[in-house]
Amino acid sequence: MKRIACYAALTAVSLFPCLPALAQDYSGRTLVVGTWGGDIERLLREHVAGPLEAKTGAKVEFLLGGSGDRMSKMVAERNNPTMDVTFQNIYEAPAALKESLVVAPDTALVPTAADVWAGMNDGCYAMSLVGLGIAYSKALFPEAPEWADLWKEEFKGKMAYAPYPSSEGDGMLAVAARIAGVSERDPDAAFAKLAELGAPVLSYSSLDEVFTLMDAGEIAAAPMISGYVLSNLENYEGIGFVFPKAPGPVLVRDMVCQVANSPEPELAQMFIDLALSVETQTAYAKELNFGPTNSKVELTEEEAARVINTPEEVTSLLQLDWSYVIEQRSDWTDRWNKQILGQ
Amino acid sequence: MKQTPDIKPIATALLVAPAAILMFGVFVLPFLFLVVLSFWSQVPGSLGMDPTFTLANYARIISDSYYLGGLWTTLWLSGLVTLICLILALPLARWIVLHAKRTKGLLIGLCILPLVCGALLPTLGLVNLLSPLGFINGALKSMGLIKTSLPLLGNIAGVSIGLVQAFLPLMILPLISTIERIPHDYEKAAMSLGATRLVVWRRVLLPLMLPGIVAGSLLVFCASLTAFVTPQILGQGKVVTFASLAYQQAAMVLDWPFASALGMVMLLFLALAGILGALVSRGLGRGS
Repeated sequence: MKRIACYAALTAVSLFPCLPALAQDYSGRTLVVGTWGGDIERLLREHVAGPLEAKTGAKVEFLLGGSGDRMSKMVAERNNPTMDVTFQNIYEAPAALKESLVVAPDTALVPTAADVWAGMNDGCYAMSLVGLGIAYSKALFPEAPEWADLWKEEFKGKMAYAPYPSSEGDGMLAVAARIAGVSERDPDAAFAKLAELGAPVLSYSSLDEVFTLMDAGEIAAAPMISGYVLSNLENYEGIGFVFPKAPGPVLVRDMVCQVANSPEPELAQMFIDLALSVETQTAYAKELNFGPTNSKVELTEEEAARVINTPEEVTSLLQLDWSYVIEQRSDWTDRWNKQILGQ
Repeated sequence: MKQTPDIKPIATALLVAPAAILMFGVFVLPFLFLVVLSFWSQVPGSLGMDPTFTLANYARIISDSYYLGGLWTTLWLSGLVTLICLILALPLARWIVLHAKRTKGLLIGLCILPLVCGALLPTLGLVNLLSPLGFINGALKSMGLIKTSLPLLGNIAGVSIGLVQAFLPLMILPLISTIERIPHDYEKAAMSLGATRLVVWRRVLLPLMLPGIVAGSLLVFCASLTAFVTPQILGQGKVVTFASLAYQQAAMVLDWPFASALGMVMLLFLALAGILGALVSRGLGRGS
C-alpha cells in the first residue's frame, strides 16, 4: 500500500510541470475586445483572436465602434468592467491611465512589449504608428503642398476636417500654432491661425464623402492620418497624400490597452502580446499601411516607404503633449465649434 | 350571465411586475441619474465628476450664445420640418383615404418604410442624391438648368429634406386615421350649400382634421427636436443642433454632466410641446 502511495506521489510530482499548461485551458471563458470595425477588426480576428482561441480554448468577442464610445464605456463601468482589451487613440491613452481605467504597460505582463520602440508605450501599449499629413487635390496643388501652402488665399474655405475632437483636429491646431511661431500651449494663437483657413467645406463622416469632392477639386485639402487613408486613395487618381516637412507630420499612435480590473486579465495580456507580435504588426503594415511599433518587423523598401517604421522617422515627427491636449478638450471643443466651424 | 373572473391583486401585481421592473431599470433609473448628473460638474482636465450640486451647466447653456443659437436652430428647424410635413401629408393622406382603394394597404406600407428602415441608410442615400456631385445636381446640370451645384448639404435645406423624408410617416398616419372618420357627406353638404373647394377645406375639412394635425405635428416636432443621425450627416458639421451638441459633449468630450444638462433642456422643450399639444386637444374636445 505504501508503495502504491509512493508511486502516486511520484506520478503527481512528475506531472507537476504540466500543471501550468492545464491552468492555461480557458475553455468556456470569453475575452471582450473593443476596437474599430472594418479592416482592423478583420486583421485582429485573423492574426490575434484566431490564434488565441486555438491556443487557449477561450472565445474572443469584439465590440465594434469609435474609441470615444469605448472611453465612455470604461468610465461608466469603472467599478465593474465588462471589456478586457480596448483600442484607443494616443490622446486618450494617457488620460485613461491617469484615471486608472487601464493597466500601465508592463513588459513582465506582456513580454513582446519589450520589442516596441522606446518611449512609445505612453499610457497603453503602442499598436501602430501613423502620421498626420495632407490629403490634397492634385488639380489644385500641382506639387505636393507644405503646411504653409494651405494658408494661401486661393484655398481659403476649401478645407475639410474630421469631426472635432479628434487626433486630426488637435494635430492641425498644433501645426497652425507652429506656423504662427508658437506651440499648441498657446491656443489663442493656434485657433486664430487655423481660423484664417476659413470655415471648412464640410466635417466629413466618411472618407468616401470627402474624397469624392476632393477628387473633383471642390475640396482643396484635408489633414488626414496615414494608414488606411493611403489604401483608400488607390481609388482616386486626382488625390495625393504627403507628409510635410515644416513642421514634420504629427505623430499619431493607436494604442492597445488592458482594461483595469477586467474579468480576464491573463487572456487580455496574451491578446495584447499577440497584437504586438512581429506577425500581426507586419500584417498591419502590409495591408493597412500602419507603421509597426515592434522594432523587429522587417519590411521591403516599397512597404517601408508607405509607413513610419524607423526611429529616425519617428524623431522627425511632431510629437504633441497629449496629456496637456486632453486637459484642454472641453475648452478647445468650444473654441473649435465657435472659431472654426461657426465663423 | 357571465361573471368577470376574479383576478386577485397579487396576481395582477405579479403579471405587471416584469414590465414594471424592466421599465424602472432601463428607463426610470437612468433618467433619474441623468437629472442628478446634470447638476454635477466635470473636474477640469479630468474624466472624473464632482458630485457637488451646481447650476453651472445650465448657466453655461443660457449664458453662451453658441448653445442658445444651437437651441434656437433646433427649435425653428423642427417647426419648419413639421410645417413641411403637414403641407405634404394633408393632400396625400386624404388622397389615400378617398381614392387609393385596393392599393391603400400598399401605399400605407410605403409611407411607413422610412420608419422601419432606420435613419442611417436613407440618410447616407440622401448624401449621394444631394451632394454637389450627386444625382440631383448632376441631373440639373445635364439639363442645362444650373451651371454650379446647388448647395443641398451642410445647410438647413439639406437637413430639412432629410428630416421630412424620415418623419413624414409620423404625420401621414394620424391624418389617415382622422380623415377616415370624417363622413364624406359633410363635404357634399357644404358644396351643395355653395361652398367652394377652398372654403370646404378651410371651414369643414381642416377643423375636422385638427385632432390628426395636432397629433402628427406633435410627433414630427418631437422627433425632429431629438433627431441626431440625420442632422449630423446631412449637416456636415455646419448645422448645429442640440442633439449633435449633446453627442459631442457625451461621447467625444466625455463631459457627461454638461451633456446631461443639454439633454434636460431638450426634454424640457419636449415636455412643453407635449403640454401645448394636450391643451390644444382639450380645447378641441370642448369645442366639439
